[in-house]
Amino acid sequence: MSALELINVRKRYGTVETLKGIDLSLASGEFLVLLGPSGCGKSTLLNIIAGLAEATEGDVRIGDRSVTGVHPKDRDIAMVFQSYALYPNMSVARNIGFGLEMRNVPAVERTEAVQKAAKILQIENLLGRKPSELSGGQRQRVAIGRALVRDPQIFLFDEPLSNLDAKLRMEMRTELKRLHQMLGTTIVYVTHDQIEAMTLATCIAVMRDGQIEQLATPDEIYNRPATRYVASFVGSPPMNMLDATVADGIAQIVGSVSGIPLPQALRENAARARDVIIGIRPESLTLASSEDAGLAIEAKVEVVELTGPELVVTSTIGSQRLTASLPPKSQIAVGASQRFNIDASALHIFDKATGKRI
Amino acid sequence: MERRSLTATILVHLAALLLLVVILAPVVWLFIMSISSTPDLIAKPLHWWPDTVDLSRYGVLLSSVANSAGEAFVASLFNSIKVAGMATVAALFVAVPSAWAVSRTPSVGWSLYAVIATYMLPPVALAVPLYMTLAWAGLLNNVFGLALVYLTILAPFTTWLMKSGFDSIPREIESAATMDGARLDQILRLITLPLAAPVMATAALFAFLLAWDEFFYALLFTSDQRAKTLTVAIADLAGGRVSDYGLIATAGVLAALPPLLVGLFMQRALIAGLTSGGVKG
Repeated sequence: MSALELINVRKRYGTVETLKGIDLSLASGEFLVLLGPSGCGKSTLLNIIAGLAEATEGDVRIGDRSVTGVHPKDRDIAMVFQSYALYPNMSVARNIGFGLEMRNVPAVERTEAVQKAAKILQIENLLGRKPSELSGGQRQRVAIGRALVRDPQIFLFDEPLSNLDAKLRMEMRTELKRLHQMLGTTIVYVTHDQIEAMTLATCIAVMRDGQIEQLATPDEIYNRPATRYVASFVGSPPMNMLDATVADGIAQIVGSVSGIPLPQALRENAARARDVIIGIRPESLTLASSEDAGLAIEAKVEVVELTGPELVVTSTIGSQRLTASLPPKSQIAVGASQRFNIDASALHIFDKATGKRI
Repeated sequence: MERRSLTATILVHLAALLLLVVILAPVVWLFIMSISSTPDLIAKPLHWWPDTVDLSRYGVLLSSVANSAGEAFVASLFNSIKVAGMATVAALFVAVPSAWAVSRTPSVGWSLYAVIATYMLPPVALAVPLYMTLAWAGLLNNVFGLALVYLTILAPFTTWLMKSGFDSIPREIESAATMDGARLDQILRLITLPLAAPVMATAALFAFLLAWDEFFYALLFTSDQRAKTLTVAIADLAGGRVSDYGLIATAGVLAALPPLLVGLFMQRALIAGLTSGGVKG
């Protein structure tokens, strides 16, 4: 059974179309991340699922029931907002129990549910406080508790971690993952942070200009990006994108004498496109000694940065830039020419005209 | 606290003292006048402090003997309380829903500007139409009629103030309450209004003061003790053949007391900072 289904959802504000036909089906227990830059329509889509906005066209189905026109409170969903949106005039306990209070759940039952949620989130000692007396991370937990206590069919998260500092963000990320594994609930989560998306999701929808660019597992998004856009959005440092032309099975890198012989499987399709973009993840480049055979390219090293766990080498190949993530102890001479081996299976070839994967 | 030189400290305190004197001097002089005997008041050179403290005027104004100055004054005091109170309560009843609507629906914001535009008209321009309307409705020289007129002054102003109050409450909080299953009235009662309480208290206080101090309409639309307000009654004291300045001052002191009490009472509600902590920050 699918917990959530979007059928050709469109949203127009006047003449501006912010969602251009979203189709999506989510199985129960999945963790879907809507990933994209600001303005791509991901928050609008979440608001439409929540019922805070109505779609101009299309249908939203939650648990096989169409919820178009259904009030947010009757959709069996709970939402965690970016700004937490706690009720400042109420205690933490009442904040968490507010949803139950509004649904006329008896006080005894309510207290029990609040206690249970507080225990899961480890905020039992904060129940008597007001939101203003909490830290950012604690407020976030209360906001999650408020959603948790309702036991909804779908949880909606709107960039919940973006107001936290880096360390806390990582902690809460793990916490969210733990919650999802423990409770097995269906989650729709909006973020522009690719690391959050990669770590949390069981399924990522990369969005761009009101459309889903690719809907796949994190593994597939990372290792088999469907388009150049998806490839450049996920990964840090970002994937190298080299302009090249294909002739006789060799991708000639524009502005340089080097070429990369393409794997047999890709040759035919690549030849048809002629102008291609070669995507190489920085971490799939390795140092090559001069007599090494196999796939290799040569580039001039310009900057070497040690980040701690890795050495980020920025070099130029012709007029184009090539970044490599190497083991920290690698011996690299700045200014010199350096050969890099490429893992042939990690080559991504995109059609330059359409941006699609070949 | 940051370090400050001695001169700076002295200057700061002098400035504060100056402010205090400027604000309090008229009030103090009003009070001194009210307890000075007539000879002290007309003596030359001026007596800064009366030789004898004379509290008799307070007795005169607060007496309830029929047809006395006191009876008229007390009646006008109650009229003022009734008119200002009713107008303030009514203004809040109008302001809260309309301000909320305008704040949450920016597309109808123009209506508020239209109302504010009528606010720019001088009262004298509206005096005749208002008089005729009140006469037609039989509400001349009537506390309800005057309160209704005051409502037209107070409602735009309180709505404006309440709108900015509502604007500062994040909409996400109301969205969250919607998803939690709260009805519109519950959202307003349990969340929005408690958060807007400081603004509401400010609006009420200023509205009450505005109505309390109003003179022009009160003078035009009231004619006797049934509806005359304090400002008109005080003017009447000055309008006789002989003006007892001490009596006028006494009336002024007494007239200042009710708003002062309202202010003190409201102070509890004026405590701001209730909204902090609901959202980030």
